[in-house]
This record gives sequence, C-alpha cells and structure tokens, in this order.
Amino acid sequence: MHSLQSRLSTGLLLSLILCFSALWLLVSINVNFLAEEYIASRIKHDTETLLSTIDFDEKDKLVIDTSRVDLVYNQPFSGHYYVINTLDQRINSRSLWDHTLDLVNTKTGDQLRGLQQGPEQQSLLVISNGYTKQGNQLSISIAEDLGPINENIIHFQYWFAAMALSMLFILVIVQALILRSSLKPLTRIQSELKSLEQGQLDKLSTDSPIELRPLINEVNHLLSVVEQRLRRSRDASSDLAHAIKKPLTVIQQLIDNNDIPEATNNMLIKQTSDIFHLTDRILKRARLAGHSHSGALFSFSEDLPALIETLDMMYASKSVKLTINVEDNISFPIDREDMLELLGNVLDNAYKWAAHKIILTVKLESKIHLFVEDDGPGADPEKINTLSMRGIRLDEKIEGHGLGLAIAADIVTDYGGNMRFSLSNKLNGFRVDIELPLPQKK
Amino acid sequence: MRLLLAEDDHILVETLKKNLQSAGYAVDVANNGIDAEYLGNEMIYDVAVLDLGLPQRNGIDVLKNWRSSGNHLPVIVLTARNAWHERVDGFKAGADDYLGKPFHFEELTARITALLHRSSQQPGGQLNTGGIILDEELQSVITGDGKNHKLTGIEFRLLRYLLLNAGQVLSKSRLTEHVYDFDSEKDSNVIEVYIRRLRQLLGKDQIETRRGQGYVFKDTA
Repeated sequence: MHSLQSRLSTGLLLSLILCFSALWLLVSINVNFLAEEYIASRIKHDTETLLSTIDFDEKDKLVIDTSRVDLVYNQPFSGHYYVINTLDQRINSRSLWDHTLDLVNTKTGDQLRGLQQGPEQQSLLVISNGYTKQGNQLSISIAEDLGPINENIIHFQYWFAAMALSMLFILVIVQALILRSSLKPLTRIQSELKSLEQGQLDKLSTDSPIELRPLINEVNHLLSVVEQRLRRSRDASSDLAHAIKKPLTVIQQLIDNNDIPEATNNMLIKQTSDIFHLTDRILKRARLAGHSHSGALFSFSEDLPALIETLDMMYASKSVKLTINVEDNISFPIDREDMLELLGNVLDNAYKWAAHKIILTVKLESKIHLFVEDDGPGADPEKINTLSMRGIRLDEKIEGHGLGLAIAADIVTDYGGNMRFSLSNKLNGFRVDIELPLPQKK
Repeated sequence: MRLLLAEDDHILVETLKKNLQSAGYAVDVANNGIDAEYLGNEMIYDVAVLDLGLPQRNGIDVLKNWRSSGNHLPVIVLTARNAWHERVDGFKAGADDYLGKPFHFEELTARITALLHRSSQQPGGQLNTGGIILDEELQSVITGDGKNHKLTGIEFRLLRYLLLNAGQVLSKSRLTEHVYDFDSEKDSNVIEVYIRRLRQLLGKDQIETRRGQGYVFKDTA
C-alpha cells in the first residue's frame, strides 16, 4: 500500500471494528446476564410468596391461597407461570391454561434453572426449587417470559451498533484530518529541499514536529557530509590545477629559450598549452560544482562597465569598439562571479577576433538572452552547426574559438540554459547566443 | 628600462630575470609583498610585473597601497588565479595589464613594451623619434640613413630610455638608475662612454648635453 493515509485509515478502521465488536459482544452478554439475573431474582421473590400461600390440609392435599398470588399468574399466557409439584399432585397456574411445562421434580434444597419454549413461542426462564413443607416434599417452578426484555436488549444492541458505527466514521475522519495536518511539515520540507537544490538554503530548518526532527537532522548531517566531500574534491582539483600551473609556467619559460630543436619545441608548446587549457577548465568546473557561489549578485550598472574596461585594457593595442545594447535598469539575480566569467569569456573571444566592432545585446523576456556579435572572420558554418548540436567537449576546441567558449558553455549548462553559435547577420562575424532561465528571486 | 619583478617562485624568477635582462631590462626582484611595495615606492622603476599570490602581503593589497599613495607605476599583474572576476578586481585595484599563468615569455615582453609605450604616450608599434627607429625585438637601431646598427645590451637600454623620455632633461644618475639593476656595479662615468657611442651612431646633435643637468634627446618630431 503506497498511501500512508489509506494505510493508517485502514488500520484504524480494522482495529476500531474489532474493538467495537468486542465491546458490543461483551456488553450484550452482560446485559443478557443481568436481565436474566434480574428476572431470576424476581422469580425468587414470587417463589417465596407462593411458598407462603401453600398449605396442606389434614389429608396432605395441597391448597393455595390464590388471593395472595399475583394477578398476573391468572391471566392466560401472561408470560408468568407457576407449577407446584408434590409427589402425587400438580397445580398449574391459571395463566398456563392448557400448556404443560416440561419439568422434573426437585429435591428439597435444590434449585434447577433452565430455558424452554413456552406457549405462544414464548421463551421462558424456568426456575424450580425443592422444599419440604409440613412434612411434604414439594417443588415450585416459576417461569417468566424473557421475550419483552430480550426485545429491549435487541433494541439496545441496535442502538449500540449504530452509535459505534457513527463513532467509527467520525474517528476515521478525525484521524484523516490529524494526519493531513501532521504531514504538512513534510510539504514544507519538500519546498525547502527544492531551495536547497538551488543553493538558496544550506540546510533544512529544524523547526518541525519532534517525530520529523531525527529525519531532518539526518538530512542536514548528510548535507554537511556531502558538502564537505564536495568541497574536499573541489579544493583538491582546484589546488591541483593551481599547483600544475607553476611548473607549467617554468616549462613554458624554458621552451621559450630557443635552445631546443624546433620540432620538439613546437610539440612541447602544444602539449603544455593543452595541459594549461585542461587545467583551466577543470579549475572553473571545480568552482561551478556544488554552487559554491560567492553570494554577490551581478550588477549591470557596476560590473559590466568594469568588465568592459578590463577588456579594453587587455586589448589596448587593438582598436575595438564594444557597443552595449542593454535596456536601462535591467536587473536579475545572478551570481556575480559566474556572470563575469560567462561574459568575460564570450567577450574575450569576441575581442580576440573582432576587427573593429562588437555588439553585446542583453534582453530580459521569459528568459535571459545574451548575444555577442563581432566583425571578425567568423567560422565555417558547417562546423558551427555541428558544434551547436552536440556542445563542446572538454578536449576539443572550436577552430580558433577556444577554451573561453568551452568554459562559457560549462557555465551555461550549469545554469540549465543553452548556447548557440552562428554567423552574425549584422557584422558578418561570429555570433554567440546565450539563453539562461530566469533565476527565481530569493 | 628598470623593471620590478615581484614573484616568489625561485625557478620562475631565475628564468624570467635572465630572459628579461636579455630583452633589455634592468631587473630587480622582490619575493614578498612587503619588499615589493617598498621597492615600488622607490620611484626608480618604469614598470612592475606583480604576482598576485605573494607571501606576506598579497599583490592586490600591494597594488591598492601603491595607488592610494599616488604611485602610478605601470603594473602588469601576473597570476595563476585567472578567473574573470579576479581580473576585473585586479583592474579595479589599479592594474594596467593582466597576464594569466602560464604564459609565453614573448607575450609578457610584448605586454611590457606596449605598456611602456602607452605610459610615455607613444603610439603603438615601433619607437620612432625623428627618423630614428628602435627595433625592440632585435635590439637594434635604424638611423636616418636607413642603416641598421646592432646595439649592445646597455646601449639598447639607454637608447630606449632616452627615446621613451625624449625632450626631457635626464640626469646621469637618473639614467644610471633606469639602466642598471641593484646588483650591477654602477659608475656614472660609464654613462658618458655610452652616450658618446650613441652619438657616433645617431649623429652628434641628437643628444644634447646640458651642463650640470644631464642629457636631452632632441624630440624633433
């Protein structure tokens, strides 16, 4: 069974049914017993009254003073009967009319109790007592119809069952409501987990029912363990990448010394630059991994001019003019370092290839659109198409448009966006289109 | 041209210093941030190559301190941490150029040359003053008659400094400061010898002597 709710409801329903049935049975048995005992005690009284009305004359003939006997014993089939037996005589109450009770004689001091069918389908409780009066042994049997009281009992049982059923119903509903409200914290935890994934939270809040707290603590513990492992591996790869750069720089200086044969030298140059590019990309991937974001947000009014100034300085020897096509007061929450890395790499590539002009366009619609166009030599259209389709792998470079775009692609992928390359219609050079989903406001 | 190399990796310093010297720079090395900041404030350097990962005081702080005290020494930042936000922060701190490790030595010299030209308001390309063209790659000079003369190391350094500061009166001690590094034996009389040698190549009138003051390279352009 998959639903906790239906599982709990079924469990509750079954146990309540069991419980109520047992209760019903117990109460019914008890009520029956009590009713019988009550009637039995009434019978006992009547038996004693009857006994006092009995007399034996001098011929040992049984005489009853009927005036002292309850009237109910005189109405035919009233449900109250008596039979008095001696060894040779038998007196039936008038109420028995022509019916005969099936009785055995009871010895003095003995009592017999039994149920039997009476006239008109009455169900009779019969109690016989044996006495000795004036030297004569006699047994008095009094029977009373259980019908009316049984009817009451059945009535009570129906009522009891109906009450139990409606209580059952109410309890199941109440339980469902309680369950639903106590599962509410889980819904909150679910939404917290979501913001956790997006890096807006770093752990679940512990403000929840005691029963859920161990679970939350475990999740938080797991998170910190995972975070620690991630940081360790991130630090390891970032340290490795940095450490590799030092000897690589030295090797590169040695290569530049020209006392190595040219073919070997060229090979070394290629190999070292490949190692360098891989290291750089790994470094940046390591930074992206696990959203180790700095927390600062990119500002179009501050960071973009600073970036462009930086690029202008770096390409001071070229006279490249960057035109920015950005709506006024555009803003969306996006990590500053990631955005600088993304724009930096894409613009750097454009500066590298542009002859004179670059256009950067930023549009904010349902998604964030970034276009960078240059008036450089562009690239082979076929190559551009295949690249757009399968993305850029770690070990490959687009002819001329190298590492930077691969790093940019990593960032775009990390943000769940996409990046396409084409030729610019406006400037006839290379064009990069980037689409990023709009980040949710924190 | 005198260059301050602030870098803590010995092997890199060794090769870089050697290469920079043969490229015509007087090189002094600082291997920690505090020394680097102190030396940079000596006002004898034409350019600094500053590693950001210096011990004791990191490069960004050194750079910020220079700039806040009004020191406009041209600075090329050298770093293994070449994320874009770090570059932007480096430029904001006052860097003039940026080079990520690892790098080719040619790229470093090209950037240093470009930066020196820029900071002395020279147009890009070769140094050309009054028909005298200095080939900074081959360390030779092309004189007005089109002849190409090879220069010795000190001649080249001296002529480059004169050309980059054409029209200014340059004292002998200033010339010495910008041509030799700390480790060289300095003798300001040697400068006279080199000036004489340059005059032989460029013509007597190109470098004027101002008695008691120094020399002026005539800016005829």
